[in-house]
Amino acid sequence: MNLIATLSRAQAQVSEQDVVTPFEEVLLVVMVFVIMFGLGAGLTPRDFRLALRRPWGLIIGWVTQFGIMPLLAYLLIVTFLFQLPKEYALPVAIGAMIMGSVPAGTTSNIFTYFSKGNLALSVIMTTNSTLWAILMTPLVLYFYLGLLSPEGSAAQQIPPRNIIVTLILLLIPVVLGMLLRRISANIGAVLELLGGFFGLFFILFLLSTWVPRNWELLSSTPWQTYLVAIGLGLFGIAIAYALTKAIKLHPMNARTIALETGIQNGPLAIAIVLLNFSGDPTIGLVLIIPALYSLFIVLVSTAVTFYFRRANLAEEQKIPNLL
Amino acid sequence: MTQAPWLAKYPTEVNPKLRDINYPHLPALFREAAEKYADTIAFTQCMPNGMNGSLTYKRIDELSDNFAVYLREVVKLNAGDRVAVQMPNCLSYPIVAFGVMKAGCVLVNTNPLYTATEMIHQFSDSGARALVIIDMFADRLPEVLPKTQIETVVTVKISEFFPKVVGGVIRLVQKVWNRSLPEIKVPHTKLLDALNAGQNHSKRQAVKDYVNDLSADSIATLQYTGGTTGVSKGAMLSHLNLIANTIQMIQMAGSFIRPGKETVITAIPLYHIFAFTVNLLGFFHVGARNIVIPNPRPPSNLKRAFENYKITWVTGVNTLYNALLKERWFLDGPPKHLRASVAGGMALHQSVATNWQEITNTPLVEGFGLTESAPVLTFNPLDGSARLGTIGIPVPSTEIKLVDDSGNEVGLGEAGELLARGPQVMLGYWQNEKESANTIVDGWLKTGDIAEMDQDGFFTIVDRKKDVILVSGFNVYPNEVEERIADVPGVIEVGVVGLPDETLGEKVCAYVVANSPAPSQETILEHCREHLARYKVPKAIVFVDELPKSPIGKILRRELRSLAISEATSTQAKDA
Repeated sequence: MNLIATLSRAQAQVSEQDVVTPFEEVLLVVMVFVIMFGLGAGLTPRDFRLALRRPWGLIIGWVTQFGIMPLLAYLLIVTFLFQLPKEYALPVAIGAMIMGSVPAGTTSNIFTYFSKGNLALSVIMTTNSTLWAILMTPLVLYFYLGLLSPEGSAAQQIPPRNIIVTLILLLIPVVLGMLLRRISANIGAVLELLGGFFGLFFILFLLSTWVPRNWELLSSTPWQTYLVAIGLGLFGIAIAYALTKAIKLHPMNARTIALETGIQNGPLAIAIVLLNFSGDPTIGLVLIIPALYSLFIVLVSTAVTFYFRRANLAEEQKIPNLL
Repeated sequence: MTQAPWLAKYPTEVNPKLRDINYPHLPALFREAAEKYADTIAFTQCMPNGMNGSLTYKRIDELSDNFAVYLREVVKLNAGDRVAVQMPNCLSYPIVAFGVMKAGCVLVNTNPLYTATEMIHQFSDSGARALVIIDMFADRLPEVLPKTQIETVVTVKISEFFPKVVGGVIRLVQKVWNRSLPEIKVPHTKLLDALNAGQNHSKRQAVKDYVNDLSADSIATLQYTGGTTGVSKGAMLSHLNLIANTIQMIQMAGSFIRPGKETVITAIPLYHIFAFTVNLLGFFHVGARNIVIPNPRPPSNLKRAFENYKITWVTGVNTLYNALLKERWFLDGPPKHLRASVAGGMALHQSVATNWQEITNTPLVEGFGLTESAPVLTFNPLDGSARLGTIGIPVPSTEIKLVDDSGNEVGLGEAGELLARGPQVMLGYWQNEKESANTIVDGWLKTGDIAEMDQDGFFTIVDRKKDVILVSGFNVYPNEVEERIADVPGVIEVGVVGLPDETLGEKVCAYVVANSPAPSQETILEHCREHLARYKVPKAIVFVDELPKSPIGKILRRELRSLAISEATSTQAKDA
């Protein structure tokens, strides 16, 4: 069959060349650090106290982040990816599952801002899910990887310890950011701004280097893979929005939670793949969904933002805001 | 004989007589503070995201000296020339304002949101020769300048005096992101260049001589007012008016203001007389740190300022306090170091005052004044004897009496127009003899406000004389009706006005901004019927999205009324 031939050719190519050059690897990790730094720079200990005092936003965020997103990833994989031959589908599925299990990304804060959402809630949800990720990401990942390949081959490839270590490492800049902001509100504010924009630079970087170099791989990628990569963000936003609307949250918070849910931390997922699959011949395939997701989420979120911006703020301000 | 029962009611530490003033003019007051608190931070400008810049007392002194030299030696202004200043709260404001006065010139405070028409009126009426303006709004100048006497334009950046990188980021965001920096099409000098020119000028030493010709009665500022009632007029406030009022206010606050230790948040605009005297002059005089906020709307813009600085004083208007009390972040983490808050500019709603005291555990007291009195006339004592709903007792060395329409003093508990006499009462209106004579009669300032006095000398404003609604010969005071409607759960804001009515003469109409779900008209009316005499109950309740407000957030009843009338006529026209 033609498809299998194309796929194995693509895979062979991937194994032969460096999917990610060492320079890119360093740059990616630095970027992730700056992004997390910016996240921390926007926070004070008081934010955590407040979040605990009004936990509803966090509980909803927790459920959508670690409940809906991984489940959505799993369903997309089983329905679409697994139509493809296993030797291709399984490594790609591992990448998709990682993408579905990582916490929310800081880019969500920018989109929330432009969507007339609740910025404070967005920041606190991102931080909250990042903290919880230390426990939840490995747990969720193992549970679903176990379901995907009952013989356990998928789960074996990423030891939970590695993921936990990766996540803890990423919390260091968050704490540093908080400390820096305490020392200088100016540095804090600049870092916060930079952190948000680095998320977008990251995408530009992907577009300008990774895409051209892997053009052949991308052009031979079947539509099912694209569907999973795009659907994860788009359906994630849609489901969370429908859900928050259904339980009658303030529209501002509904928009925030929707974006927060659908926008995952793409750079983090890529970093996890790089740190755990370095030297593995399947790394190119594992990386494909996190990379595609990171590219398309910008388009998806922009479209959603335009939709959300039509909201009538004056009208909404009359609705009591409970979060 | 004027009764003065309040004399017995000052807190023990407050002298009912204004202490001797030994400042010949405001620059003397600035220089004293700058020497005393040299390396203390005087002003910090805090942006909504927490970016900030600061200047010490010493820097403010040096930079404003430079600006004075620039005005006198480079621009060649003379003592008494008017300089219009048009900018939001920012670090440049104190430098420019103090500089103008150090040059012996007259400061003309101008609202940066003014339209070209309003700018032309104020600039040409005052005869300003120079204008210092924020660059964001300088695009109106080609239209404005030819119709004024302005020869020199100095432009100011909002990020002036910020650390370089931070200022650069703000600039970049303004330019690229917000596109809020228009091209300035008239010749102008940047503030920094003006300051450098002043600093390097050969006659820099002469700066202290500019004030030699000033006397206590020289005009310090032309403070325009009355825009809500008609053509705006420039109240001439002398150096003595402003110094006296500064000291009166500080004397009244007693030990609640600790010299060199306070941090005050200045969210209301400095070009408005309230913040100008209380925050800029008063708190500078006592060595406080002023946290200036360029734009307090939306109220979340204040979040970082409250997080990052130990705020000990807040000054504001009812609208600001009300807005803060509706912010989640504020309710969850009210300022811990707060000592007291002052409300002025408009009536403080009792529910807001009580709520604020509950949340912050510190007093929020109301004072009263007007532009024409620089502005404070009365103030509530902070020692716990404040009376909610009153505007307090006269500040030291201020006399107040209440008179009826024929000028006779009214009895205790009766309503009459509030007249005031004291060192803070303005010299008169700029080039407007007629209005001056109508407003200041035998040294008494006619405020146009109707008030009552209780037996202890605490005053309560009943309403603006001009806002009183005449329903079949009965006086209805909009304040009272508003206060009642504000009690109804779900009501955010309310403005009450009188509209022409064929049978009643005037009818009471309430314009309500409400939460969703909004309380029904019937609920509100029911509440009014329960608490108000029949003739005071509104004939109509109209739900609106917002109410017209002045720059400091005062609800503009006049405007509301004309809006309502024009709407009524247009509907009638449509019906016909």
